[in-house]
Amino acid sequence: MLGMSDMMHMASATLAQAGYPEAMSTPALAHYLFLSAVLFVIGIVGFVTRRNLIIMFLCTELMFQAAGLALIAFSRFHLHHTGQTFVIFVLTIAAAEAALALALVVLLFRKKDSLSGEEWREMQG
Amino acid sequence: MLSGRVLEQLTQPFLLFLGLAIGGVGLCLALPRRRVNPQVIGVVLGGLGIGVVLLGLGLRNPDQLPNYNFYIFGIIAAGSALRVITHPRPVYAALYFILTILASSGLYLILSAEFMAFALIIVYAGAILITYLFVIMLATQAPSEDQLDALADYDVEARSPMVAAVTGFVLLAALTTMLFRGAPDLVEPGEVHPEALLAHMPNKVTPERVLVSLEREGVLVEGEEFVSLDPMAGTVTLAGVDGERVVDIPDDLGVTNVEAVGFDLLNDHPGSIEIAGVILLMAMLGATVLSRKQVEFEEEAKLRQSQELAARGGVFSDKEVRP
Repeated sequence: MLGMSDMMHMASATLAQAGYPEAMSTPALAHYLFLSAVLFVIGIVGFVTRRNLIIMFLCTELMFQAAGLALIAFSRFHLHHTGQTFVIFVLTIAAAEAALALALVVLLFRKKDSLSGEEWREMQG
Repeated sequence: MLSGRVLEQLTQPFLLFLGLAIGGVGLCLALPRRRVNPQVIGVVLGGLGIGVVLLGLGLRNPDQLPNYNFYIFGIIAAGSALRVITHPRPVYAALYFILTILASSGLYLILSAEFMAFALIIVYAGAILITYLFVIMLATQAPSEDQLDALADYDVEARSPMVAAVTGFVLLAALTTMLFRGAPDLVEPGEVHPEALLAHMPNKVTPERVLVSLEREGVLVEGEEFVSLDPMAGTVTLAGVDGERVVDIPDDLGVTNVEAVGFDLLNDHPGSIEIAGVILLMAMLGATVLSRKQVEFEEEAKLRQSQELAARGGVFSDKEVRP
């Protein structure tokens, strides 16, 4: 019977810094890349199908997440920190995008009193 | 290298495409619809599809699996991402997105990117998503008395879920095929010395701190002195009564993830930080300009104002001009 502290110790030993300086194998990297592709496709399908403007922008954030996961996985694979640095910039761009998109959503909501993206279909191109 | 570009090295193509097809059907079923709404079946099928692909990856390479926590966090991340795009209520979608953030920060932890894991929680779950929740609550029509739970018309139904699911399936199949065909060609890194960064951190590895850490580890013998530190080899040279000896750098002096990322950020990308700052400033200005309330005068008021302005000779004055 494992005690709580034993389990905590096991979790901390396997979670953080899991064998850090050793390189990750290519199949393990492929798992992360697959998950990242899944998140990206879920984001893009949501962006296309949902009609609520706020959820559409939430889906772009989902795609940012997918890109960030791929960057971090490659950073771990190559044992190089530039991948993580790049995620900082991805976060910056995501924050700027969220601020502008939400300001735009508030503006559009004031004009038509609806969050539907199809209210704005006369804006073609 | 011809033999490297083969999909079979990583997974069975049959299992890969079967899993992706199951996932695509599940995605199509899970998207919100007006009449029959088999969302639970859709989410289960989607999870099953992802599971089949991961199984295919694992069966082919049973000795090179990722950390088992990957499966826990990966399933939480993918499942809650699926709920983000399928939940009809925007508030719940945003909450599920926070769950996706938490799960992917767990994945960052497994990938030993501790700084980014916590920065992700603070910036995304703490700041960006709260802004989203604010806007969701601001920009919602007040419900009428008799139907408090009514959904807005545009939330009830997804736009052409079938076409979107097929497109998503094709896109995911193309992406994964390309990834898995190219992955065996990746060059694994050579010998890496995390301690090499210590050469740039003279304040971190003073002789006193090295000696204190060595003593805590029980390596230091009485009467030994610090001679030199070789960051590339990861060793410390000590001088004692019977000559010099070389020991490893103590563990608690190693370069942590925060130090390494900070060094990489400030040493290799100083210009990018400036540009990121300018982008944030511009976004702040843009958001302020976009969302300010525009006061619109009525025609009559505009006319009166322009006449008053003309009577003053086009010059504003503090005193009220009475005709």
